[in-house]
Amino acid sequence: MKITFVKKILADGSACKKCGEVTAKMEEAGQLQHIDEIVIADERDPESAGIKLAAQYDVNRAPFFIVEEEGKETVVYTVYFKFVKQVLAGKTSEQEEIKEIMNDNPDLDFI
Amino acid sequence: MSAELLNTVDLDQTLQQSSPQKILEFALEQFDNLTISFSGAEDVVLIDMATKIRPDVDVFCLDTGRLHAETYQLIEQVREHYEIEIDVVSPDGDALRKFVKDKGLFSFYDDNHQECCGVRKISPLRRKLLEVDAWVTGQRKDQSPGTRAQIPVIQEDKAFSRPNATLTKFNPLANWTSAQVWEYIRENKVPYNSLHDKGFVSIGCEPCTRPVGPNQHEREGRWWWEEATKKECGLHGSNVEK
Repeated sequence: MKITFVKKILADGSACKKCGEVTAKMEEAGQLQHIDEIVIADERDPESAGIKLAAQYDVNRAPFFIVEEEGKETVVYTVYFKFVKQVLAGKTSEQEEIKEIMNDNPDLDFI
Repeated sequence: MSAELLNTVDLDQTLQQSSPQKILEFALEQFDNLTISFSGAEDVVLIDMATKIRPDVDVFCLDTGRLHAETYQLIEQVREHYEIEIDVVSPDGDALRKFVKDKGLFSFYDDNHQECCGVRKISPLRRKLLEVDAWVTGQRKDQSPGTRAQIPVIQEDKAFSRPNATLTKFNPLANWTSAQVWEYIRENKVPYNSLHDKGFVSIGCEPCTRPVGPNQHEREGRWWWEEATKKECGLHGSNVEK
């Protein structure tokens, strides 16, 4: 299994806030050891590897995780807690997952 | 057909030019296990359109327990008018009980609405979506000024998909304006929420919805006590080569 973690650098050169938060959580939980490659999506450079991966997998937010496994279809996770639960078999609370989904999808509560 | 066989990016470019009816026709042709999200407001037009294609189309409604009486009346009216089953999805009893015990019934006025919406709406929505391969919403571009103006008509929903499965989301009304929706409602005599006649435009839960005045955006009728700006962490489309 190969896990790629895609983080973003904003157009003004600063790091994406959520990417920083997710990295800190992963460090604290010792999850970074499971990541095979960290790729940067630099908004200032359309040719950056992360921007190309975002286009390839039709992802419009960061961070995200690409999980490749031989003989299986590649899966992309845009919800950190879902990735933790389904790939790293970690424990997450329903509340944490829902909060992340709502933060990433500001229009969902209008459904 | 399963969603993994659909290239949603290419399809979106094609379907962006299509009418809501054509988009629904496509969605219903592709997916047997599809459901329509009905909020009890203008998205009733989706039910009118869909039942003309598939009379027993699956429809669900998120009953937060805090909806207006008028909304519950509309749900019943729609059920009878179209002779369809509506899956009225409730929040998880234990989670709701704990939330109300900890935070009371009006905590959203003190902090923000997210926690309450999470328990009463988004968590049940996720539960419901685990049952299906595709879902349909009434989201429109003109409801969401600024950053949310690029709603695709078809997209892969990565947030709510089941493990090792894909979930496809359709937004057939994405390119329609509020005026077009209302023209359709009137022309086709579609039942609608009587709150619309009282100045309500966007309708949600009773404590979090109010009528809006002339030239106010419909979103100003929802969670008006909170700051309007929300920060996103999206990848700017202009930088993403497709």
